[in-house]
Amino acid sequence: MRVLLNFVKGFSATGKTLRMVLLLFVINLLFSMILAFPMYSSLKSSFGQSLVGENMAEGFDYLWWGEFMDSAKGLETTFSPSIIGKGAILNNLENLIQFRFFVLPSVIIILGILYLLLHTFLAGGILSIFMKDTPRFSMKEFFNGAGTYFIRFFLLMLISWVFFFFIGSFLGGQFNRIINNVSKNSLSEVTPFYLGLLFSAIIFFLLLFIQMVFDYGRIKIVLEDSRNVLRSASEAFVFVFKHLGSTLGLYYLIFLVNVVITLIYVLLKGLVPQSAFLTVFIAFLIQQVFIFAIIWLRCWLYSSQMELYRYLK
Amino acid sequence: MKKIMDIWIKEGRLPNKFLVVSFILLSTLGTFLFSADEPLCKQVANYTMNVNLDTEKNIITCTELLSWTNDSETSTDELWFHLYWNAFQNNMSTFLREGTRRGRRVTGFREEDWGYCRVESIKIAQNDFFDEYDLLPTMNFRQPDDDNAFDQTVFSVKLPKPIEPGQTILLNIDFQSRVPRPVSRTGVFKDYYFIAQWFPKIGVFQDGRWNCHQFHASSEFFADYGTYDVQITLPSSFIIGATGEYRENVDNSDGTITHYFLQHSVHDFAWTASPRFLKYEDNFEFAPGKTTEITLLLQPYHENLKERYMNAIKNAIKYCSLWYGDYPYSTATCVDPAYNSRSGGMEYPTFFTGGAYFITRKGISRPEGVTIHEFGHGYFYGLIGSNEFENPWMDEGMNSFLDTEVYYAAYGEPFYSKMYFGIPVTFKNVKIPIESVGISRHRLTSNMDDMQRFSWHFMEGGSYGANSYAKGQLMMLTLKRFMGKELFAKMIKAYSLRNWFKHPCPKDFYNIVSEFAGQDMSWLLDQFIYGSGKLDYAIGNIINQRPRQHKGLFGGKFKEEKKADLKEILYESDVLVRRLGEVKIPVEVLVIFEDGQEIKEKWDGQYRWKKFTYKRPHLINTAIVDPEFKLVLDVNRTNNSMTKKHNKIAPLKWTSTWLLWLQHAFEFFTLFGG
Repeated sequence: MRVLLNFVKGFSATGKTLRMVLLLFVINLLFSMILAFPMYSSLKSSFGQSLVGENMAEGFDYLWWGEFMDSAKGLETTFSPSIIGKGAILNNLENLIQFRFFVLPSVIIILGILYLLLHTFLAGGILSIFMKDTPRFSMKEFFNGAGTYFIRFFLLMLISWVFFFFIGSFLGGQFNRIINNVSKNSLSEVTPFYLGLLFSAIIFFLLLFIQMVFDYGRIKIVLEDSRNVLRSASEAFVFVFKHLGSTLGLYYLIFLVNVVITLIYVLLKGLVPQSAFLTVFIAFLIQQVFIFAIIWLRCWLYSSQMELYRYLK
Repeated sequence: MKKIMDIWIKEGRLPNKFLVVSFILLSTLGTFLFSADEPLCKQVANYTMNVNLDTEKNIITCTELLSWTNDSETSTDELWFHLYWNAFQNNMSTFLREGTRRGRRVTGFREEDWGYCRVESIKIAQNDFFDEYDLLPTMNFRQPDDDNAFDQTVFSVKLPKPIEPGQTILLNIDFQSRVPRPVSRTGVFKDYYFIAQWFPKIGVFQDGRWNCHQFHASSEFFADYGTYDVQITLPSSFIIGATGEYRENVDNSDGTITHYFLQHSVHDFAWTASPRFLKYEDNFEFAPGKTTEITLLLQPYHENLKERYMNAIKNAIKYCSLWYGDYPYSTATCVDPAYNSRSGGMEYPTFFTGGAYFITRKGISRPEGVTIHEFGHGYFYGLIGSNEFENPWMDEGMNSFLDTEVYYAAYGEPFYSKMYFGIPVTFKNVKIPIESVGISRHRLTSNMDDMQRFSWHFMEGGSYGANSYAKGQLMMLTLKRFMGKELFAKMIKAYSLRNWFKHPCPKDFYNIVSEFAGQDMSWLLDQFIYGSGKLDYAIGNIINQRPRQHKGLFGGKFKEEKKADLKEILYESDVLVRRLGEVKIPVEVLVIFEDGQEIKEKWDGQYRWKKFTYKRPHLINTAIVDPEFKLVLDVNRTNNSMTKKHNKIAPLKWTSTWLLWLQHAFEFFTLFGG
C-alpha cells in the first residue's frame, strides 16, 4: 500500500515539474542532435541523386544498405535495419546487459560519457527540486542544487562503477565461462540458450538494483546533506536491504510503466508510414513523446523514491 | 545367398573370398547382387564394406573390397588413395595447418580425440587380369600439393604390373579408424556420430595422372562413381542413416544390429548414428509417377521444425527436378546435426545435413536455406561430379545460385532478422532481395583472386568463400538475366543432364553457354571466371541546358536572337554513363524525360564512358544504367541511377529513426550515473 501511495505521490510531484522534465528532454535532444547532423549528411550523400532515395522513402532498400555498410566508418556503422521500431530498444538493452557499449564508435562513447557526467550534475538539480514539500521548478534552484551536489554525486558515481564493473566484468565473465563450458559439452543449444537468458536476467536485475541503491544514496545526500559519500552509499545499501520489498516494489512498478510505454511506442511507430514530410514529422513527434516519457519516468522514479525514503525514515 | 551372408555377419567379418566372388559377379555381369536396379552410369569404383563401430572406443574396423576399373585411355602402375581422416591425427597435417591460419583451431584435444585411418592390409585379389599380391610394402604417403611430410591424407601403392585401360583390379583392404572429435564435418560428439570421408578412397585417374589431392582446409571432394554395398554393425540402441537405400537389418543377438545399405551410381558414402534421432519418413511424388523416399533424422529438441525441414526437402527435390533434371535416386536422407557436432551444412550423395536453431520465425531462412543448399549439392557435386578441389565455383557457386533460386521461388523474400539474447527477431518491413545475397562478400574480397583457382590457392578463406560461393552464384544470376530467363533455363538443364556422372570442367561450361547463346561467350565468361575485375556501371551526370540563343557575328553579320524568336524550345541534354569497373559488358540505359517519355539506349560498355545527347522539348528527369537489373554482379547499384528530382524525405526519415535509437541509448547510459 505504501508503495502505491508513494508511487502516486511521486507521480503528482513530477506532474508539477513538467518544465524540469522538458529541460532534461531538450538536453537529451540537443546532445543527440550533435551526432544527427553528421548522420544526416552521410545518408544524404550516400543516397545522392540516386533512385535509392525513392526506395528509402517508401521502405528500406536492403541492397543500398549493404553498399553503405561495406564502406561505413565511425558513426555510419551504427545504421542498420535493427534501429527500426522495437529494434532500437532491443539493441540498447542487449548492449547494456552484455556491456557492449564499448563496441560503439568512439564518438558515441565520448558523448555518452559526457551525457552521463551532465546527468550526474543535473541529478542534484532534480532531487533538490523534489526535496521541497511542494515541488516547483525554478531554474535558479535547479542549477543551484546541481552545483551543490555535483562533486558528491560524482564520487558516488565512481563508487557505483566499482559495482557495475564487478557485474559487467567479473560476474559477466564468470557467466560467459559457465555458458561456454555448458555449451561446449552440450548436445543441444537449448540448455545454453536458457542459461544465457537466465544470466542476462540476473545481470539486468543487478544493474537495476545497483542503480536503485545509488539513487537512494543520492537521495540521502540531498535530504540529509551528508558529506560522507562512502557512508551514504553504504547506508543506502542498508536502507534498501532493510526495506527490500518496498524499494523493489516501487522500482519495478515504474519499470512496468516503462515497459508499457515502450510497447505503446513500438505499436504506434509501426502504424505511421513515413513516405511524406508530414508522416515523417508525425513519426518524429511520436519518438520525441516516447523519449520525453522515458525522461519523465526517470524523474517520477526519483520523486517516488524520495517520498518513500522520507516515509520510511 | 542372403541367409548365408547373415550367418557370416553374425560370426564376424565376411570372408574375403566371399567378397571377391561377389565382386567378380558384379564386374562381369554388370548387375548388382541385391538390387535389380540398373546403374545409371559406368561403375568405376565399387566398394563393398563390412563396418564395425565400437562405440566405447570410437574405433571403426572395416574390411573393404574395392573393384576399380581403369576408365582412362592410359595405363598406370600406381593406385592413389585418399585417407582423409589422417588430417585429424595431428596438428601438422595440411588441413590443420591451413585451418589454423584461417582461425580453425584445434584446442583441448586429448589423446583419444585425435582421429586417424590406418590401412592394415592392402592386397590385390585374383581376377582375370591380376594375381594375388600384397601391396602394403609398396604403400607410400604422398604430398602432391605442398610437400608437407607430416601430411598423410594421400597414399599410393605400386602395382606389380600396369593396369591397362578398361581393366579392373580388385583390392582387399583392411583398415582401422578412430573417429575424431569433430573438427570439421565428421567425428563423434558424445553419442552422435557423423562418419564422412572415413574410408580409404581411391582417387580419380584422368588424363594420364592421378587426381588425388591432399585434404585441405577449404577443399572438398572429388571421386569416381560406383556402387556402395555397405554393412554397418552398431549397438542396437542406435538409429542410423546413410547414403543410399536401406535394405534391411540383422539383429546379431549380442546387443548389436547390422544395417545394410546399397547405392549405385554415387561417388561417396557417409553415415550417421545416434540413439537420439527422431526418424520421419515420407514418400514424395515430386513429378507425376516419380517418387523418392525422404528420411529426416531430427534432433529431439528440433521436433517443432519437422514440417519446415520436410517442406524444404520437398521444395528442393521438386524445383531441382524441374530445373536440373528429375532426381534419379530412390532416397534422400536429411540429417539435422547435433549441436557442437560441426557436421551441419554438408553434402554427400543422397545424404546431407541441414542446420537449425530451435527457435525460428516465419520468414527466416533457417533451416530451409541450408537444407536446400545441401540437397542442391546432390546435383553439382553429386550427379555432375564437379571437381571441388580444382574448380570449387562449379559446385559451390552454381549450387549457391540453385539454392537461392529454389528458396525464393518456394518461400519468397526472407525478412531481415537479428538475434537478441538468442531469440531471433524479424523486421518485416525489411526484405532481403535475391540480388543482395552474396554481393557484399563479392564486393569486399573477390578481387583478391580470380574465381577459377584450386580451392587451397586462394589468398585467404574469405576470398575462397567470396569467389567460390558468392561470385559464382552472382555470375550465374547475371548470366540468367543477360541471356534471358527461358534460354538460360534450357541451357542450365542441358548442362546438368549432359554432365551427369561426367566430371565437367570449366571448358564444358563455356561450351554449353556458347552453344545456347549462339556465339562464343568466352569474352564474357573469361572476365568472370578467369578475372578478378569488378563490374560497376554508373550514371556520371545528367546535364540539361536551355537552348542557346544565337548571339554574335554570323557570316560577318551581327545577330542577337531573342527568346521569342525561338520557334520551339529544344533543350540540349546529356547523360553521361561511366564504366567504373574493369568488367566490360554491353548495357542498356534508360532515359526518362519530364513528360514521362522513355528512351532506351544500348552501349557496348567498352570504353570508360559514353555520352548520350538529346535535343528535345523536355528536360531529362532520370537516367538508369542497366534498368532491368541484369548485371547482378554490379558492385554498386546505388550509382546506377540518377534523377534530377531526388528524394529529400529519405535522409530526414532515416536520420530521425536513427536519432531515436541514439536518444534512447544516451538515456540508458544514465543508469551508470545520474
